[in-house]
Amino acid sequence: MRIVIAEDDPLLREGLALLLRAEGLEVVATAGTPDELLTAIDQYEPDVAIVDVRMPPTHTDEGVRAAAEARRRRPGIAVLVLSAYVEPAFATDLLARGSARLGYLLKERVGRVEEFLTALYRVAGGGTAVDPEVVAQLLARSRPDDALAPLSPREREVLALMAEGLGNAAIAEKLVITEGSVHKNIGRIFAKLGLAPDDRADRRVIAVLRYLGLTPGPG
Amino acid sequence: MPLRTIRRGVDALEIVVSGLGTGILALGVLLWTLLVGVACLVGVGFRLLPTVRRAAHAVADRERARLAVAGSGSARQEIVWLILHGTVGFLLGAVGITLPVYVVEDVTFPLWYRFLDPEQGGPGVIWWRVDEPADVAAVVLTGVGFAVLTIVLGPVLAWLQAYPGRRLLGGSLSRRVAELTATRAAALDAHAAELRRIERALHDGTQNRLVAVTVLIGAARRAADRDPDAAGDLLDRAQDATEQALAELRGVVRSILPPVLDDRGLAGALAGLAASCAVPCTLDVDVPGRCAVSVEATAYFVVAEALTNIARHSGATSATVLVRRAGDRLSLSITDDGRGGAAEDGGSGLGGIRRRVAAYDGRFRLTSPPGGPTTIDVELPCGS
Repeated sequence: MRIVIAEDDPLLREGLALLLRAEGLEVVATAGTPDELLTAIDQYEPDVAIVDVRMPPTHTDEGVRAAAEARRRRPGIAVLVLSAYVEPAFATDLLARGSARLGYLLKERVGRVEEFLTALYRVAGGGTAVDPEVVAQLLARSRPDDALAPLSPREREVLALMAEGLGNAAIAEKLVITEGSVHKNIGRIFAKLGLAPDDRADRRVIAVLRYLGLTPGPG
Repeated sequence: MPLRTIRRGVDALEIVVSGLGTGILALGVLLWTLLVGVACLVGVGFRLLPTVRRAAHAVADRERARLAVAGSGSARQEIVWLILHGTVGFLLGAVGITLPVYVVEDVTFPLWYRFLDPEQGGPGVIWWRVDEPADVAAVVLTGVGFAVLTIVLGPVLAWLQAYPGRRLLGGSLSRRVAELTATRAAALDAHAAELRRIERALHDGTQNRLVAVTVLIGAARRAADRDPDAAGDLLDRAQDATEQALAELRGVVRSILPPVLDDRGLAGALAGLAASCAVPCTLDVDVPGRCAVSVEATAYFVVAEALTNIARHSGATSATVLVRRAGDRLSLSITDDGRGGAAEDGGSGLGGIRRRVAAYDGRFRLTSPPGGPTTIDVELPCGS
């Protein structure tokens, strides 16, 4: 797996590179600005780009826009966007071009190396990683009809993990239940919410997120 | 006649005379306007029309400055004012300047009437034949009368002369409201700029440092089994990053509002800085009223950074800090007699000053030729 890192803070950039290299991953380039990132993508043709949201010059959402541009230039690339704080609007922007090979995580998740690597591999493998914090914010939104009320606590947990982009096996492992049980829970959730059941994580994540109020475009 | 009335009369006279200045200008522009108007009749004046507009506006601005009124009247209002001020205003000014001349002439008449031919009469409006002491006394009395008239009429003349300007050039109530709205917006802008600066400082500094700490600790945990030496190295780095985060957090907290500003105001806070500076420092602060708190905090930051710089890098033996407020601008000037050649790079803190000043739409200028002296000039909108 060939990785480029775009992060304007030098200490953090080097720390990330250090961590990934120590795990035996190939960091082919690091960048401090969106332009450097796009140049590195053209030059090194990486499989994954890890991108900070706030970068020069305005330190607002340069990373989100650079991520969109990277996906446009190199459709097969996986992009993992890191951010110091989560903003569902950014997730909406990012998911506008589909949820495949896309991650949006809080920066500090990197410190939980094992979970971070799992998310990284999932995104590189074509999946999705949405930060639990984003999902929590979406779930906490009050809805006029409170459509989530019929869900049992267990079903809510499963829904949240689906929204994060986890597959059935990963959900089962996380909740310490069997895959069959996960499958049944998902069936009940989709029935209660009136969604078409779908076992494939990559397709259902967008359906679930959209249901929860993220409004990405057709993807 | 009470002293206060006299003083008011004399003040008014001064105003009327200054009004004569703009009156003459207005008259000049008026004549020019007539000339251009005539030239228009024969077809060559149209190209000169813009000069009329510009000249009228320039004179109107002068009058605004004289009357200390703010605003921007329409072209029509300025032309009406021009006609009034170039005629009535000019005449009032002429009267205003003639009256005291009469007073001086008449009162001093006993000293020099002998040199005159009695047939000529007295000075100014004195029409009667003067050859006896009683006639002279009458002239002096007339002078006293003029003096009283001057003092009584002065304020009336001044008021009449300024009236068209105030009415036509000055700000209406709605304009005043617009001005207040603008200054209030400026204060809010300063506030927003300060919040943005703090947010940026916390995010780009402290928060990123702490993320780095957690990344490094995460890496260290992973390395602990494989390679204990590497883990130790990572933990060292994590500790460094923690200390950096703490240092930055301290800096941010102190920069938000140095407590001393609240206690002693800007002048007092700067006096504290000057007193604790390693280089002898002369402080000259003349800032009436108070600026927005965040502006004062920025001014304090600028002086603190500049003095730290002087003490560390300049080799100076003395420094001067000058703080002034002109209108809605707070200007700071920090000079030292050191070796000069200061540059913004090289961690001198000057870059920090520039960034913080820029956050306020302020101006920053560094003059530091090799050999010195070094001067930092900063201008900040007061936001009030």
